[in-house]
Amino acid sequence: MTARRREGVPRAGLADREGFLAWAMLLPSVVYIVALVGVPFLLAVAFAFSDVTTGDPSYDFVGLRNFTAVFDDGVFWRSLGNTLLFTTSAMVLIVVFGKILANILVADFRGKWLVRFLVLLPWTTPVALSTISWLWFLDSIYSPVDWVLRRLGLIEGNVVWLGDPGTAMLSVVLVQTWRLTPLAAVIVMAGLVAIPRDLDEAARIDGAGFWRRMLEVTIPLTLPVIAVAALFGAIMTFTDMTVSYVLTRGGPTHATDVLASWAYFRGIEGGDVGQGAAIALFLFPILLAGAIAILRAVRRLEAQ
Amino acid sequence: MTDRLSRRGFLASTAVALGTAGLAGCASETSGPQARGQGDAPKEVFTAPSRKLSGSLTILMWSHFVPRHDKWFDRFAADWGKRVGVNVRVDHINTVDVPRRAASEIQARQGHDLIQHIAPFSQYEPAVLDMNDVVQEASRRWGQQIELCRRSSYNPNTRRFYCFCPGWSPDPGNYRRSMWQQAGLPNGPSSWEELLTGAAEIKRRTGVPCGIGLSPETDSNMAARALLWSFGASEQDAAEKVVINSPEAVAAVEYMTRLWKQAETSEVFSWVPASNNQALIAGKSSYILNSISAWRTAMGTNPKIGDDVFFVPALRGPKAALAAQHVIQQWIVPKHAANPDAAKEFLLHYTANFPSVTYQSELYDLPGWPSLVPQLNGWLDNDPFGAKPPNKLSLLKNAASWSANIGYPGPSNPAIGEIFSTNVLPTMFGRAARGQVSARQAVADAERQMNAIFKNWRDRKLVGG
Repeated sequence: MTARRREGVPRAGLADREGFLAWAMLLPSVVYIVALVGVPFLLAVAFAFSDVTTGDPSYDFVGLRNFTAVFDDGVFWRSLGNTLLFTTSAMVLIVVFGKILANILVADFRGKWLVRFLVLLPWTTPVALSTISWLWFLDSIYSPVDWVLRRLGLIEGNVVWLGDPGTAMLSVVLVQTWRLTPLAAVIVMAGLVAIPRDLDEAARIDGAGFWRRMLEVTIPLTLPVIAVAALFGAIMTFTDMTVSYVLTRGGPTHATDVLASWAYFRGIEGGDVGQGAAIALFLFPILLAGAIAILRAVRRLEAQ
Repeated sequence: MTDRLSRRGFLASTAVALGTAGLAGCASETSGPQARGQGDAPKEVFTAPSRKLSGSLTILMWSHFVPRHDKWFDRFAADWGKRVGVNVRVDHINTVDVPRRAASEIQARQGHDLIQHIAPFSQYEPAVLDMNDVVQEASRRWGQQIELCRRSSYNPNTRRFYCFCPGWSPDPGNYRRSMWQQAGLPNGPSSWEELLTGAAEIKRRTGVPCGIGLSPETDSNMAARALLWSFGASEQDAAEKVVINSPEAVAAVEYMTRLWKQAETSEVFSWVPASNNQALIAGKSSYILNSISAWRTAMGTNPKIGDDVFFVPALRGPKAALAAQHVIQQWIVPKHAANPDAAKEFLLHYTANFPSVTYQSELYDLPGWPSLVPQLNGWLDNDPFGAKPPNKLSLLKNAASWSANIGYPGPSNPAIGEIFSTNVLPTMFGRAARGQVSARQAVADAERQMNAIFKNWRDRKLVGG
């Protein structure tokens, strides 16, 4: 060591130690995740086994009482079914529209920047703000959507999108799809631009048309990325309550209540934090299982 | 550079315009007319606090549906603070945000000294100060408090006043006279049966439906209770036992099913609290249950329609004629409050000036201690804000006799609050109206939910029965 110093080699500092640097750079993310995800999660677990209410923060352990009460509640099961329907439908639509949009975004045409800007707009707008806009678009009296449809002669009276269980769920799914499609498009776009051009050209030379190239070259090669887009879409839909809460407040007759919104109604508006936490906690194992399944599928696809 | 600036300017002004339009649209109810003469405004009174006050007082409260009230209130609170040596800060937020803000402050054990909400707030009882001393003092000064305010602030099981309730707003029927004239009822319906026949006739003739909500929101909750009581049913009895499963409740649900099928449309399932106001003013609804604010809005924005809106008291049912209160003032002082003495003294000062509260809210807020506002009947007979005819609101003179608290005939306990917040009753009516289940089944399902909620709060010793 002394000999090295003598030769003019500087002493290795903290900045040269890869192990230290790696941890130093990871630390902000770790602190962020622990403080804003880990601690609230543990708190939710603790609350789910307690009798904490909005008006009484003192902690008393009540065992599985909250879970038993939640399982006995028909609205919980309805919300669980709605959550699965909401997530599955929105995820399929997000992936399909995301793929179509990604294809448009990678193409060369005039005004591409404008299209990209417009496409990304729903993703960049705060969710509460954009959903309030949709609330007005779908208003039972002043809906401009209905006005256009009436002008086109497609309907006579207003549809009342949010007043019927079927159209209400359709509206919630479509607004969520509108909101998350840009994210899926950007993810898929990254996969598309990574495909070597010579593969596509080779397929063209072999006489493959658009659909054949799409189905046998593009989609198989971007499948892992599409799966990641699906995973993001699923997680962000499964845990979302904003769209359902703002558009319908879970109505009509709980037709659009999802686990997250029902947890909020019970826990915060109803005051029973313990039961609200128990409902919210139910999101975790389902999400975990879904995420593991999708990530395993992605790894398998990558291995192929 | 100029181009960039102008583009930026364009974007900024567009954003400001959209934001302003958005905020205006968000407001569920707005102020309409101006007083005919400022001379009508009552003089404010001041009584020196019973103890020396200092420090600061922070108040969290809703943004009143009548903006004039908030301007007055902020000035009023600041003036009081100057006189008693307390630095007062008032934060107004949207009423729907008050519960979650209160919940987070109470969980954190820090925040405002005084919080006001306009719906049942009984679930906060363990975390707030007993207001018994303030109520006693108010009753000593101004006589008896009206029953619905007392039931909305007192827990008979713990014998504590979990909040202070100095005011409330009634929930009369609002109807379009021109439409009801065509149905042969120019004075509007007086009973639920007349509502059904008249509204069905109006819908058949003009296509304009009735606007009793079946949605998960406040006004639908009020309507559900009015209907139940008028048919002789209720969620709980006076001893706080769940009694929803009764032939009377089933009859009320069956009635609502008929009303929806014959006189309403699916839109009542999609409504937010502002929707019935909008529908009435837009001529898209013949009858709604609401406070006087929709009409006040119309007086300012479209006087022709405002003049066509009239009111009826609670509709008569087979057993009673009762309506729920529309707004109930709930003032709580959390245990974490840094300056509870100032909070309580301010509440007494605020209550002493209830004539100003009523006036500045354009007769929206009525007093919990009626002796406080001797001018009230005069104002209701001769509206200071230009009603046509001037006595349009005179039916509110005895509004307390046909209004009841949420939870009637029992108190507004936390179980009732949770039933209200989780929309059990609008869902019960809605499921039957939609034909998803029979009326009997809808009531039975609601009973199951209510029993679970009541048991939960009984275990915490906050509910009797």
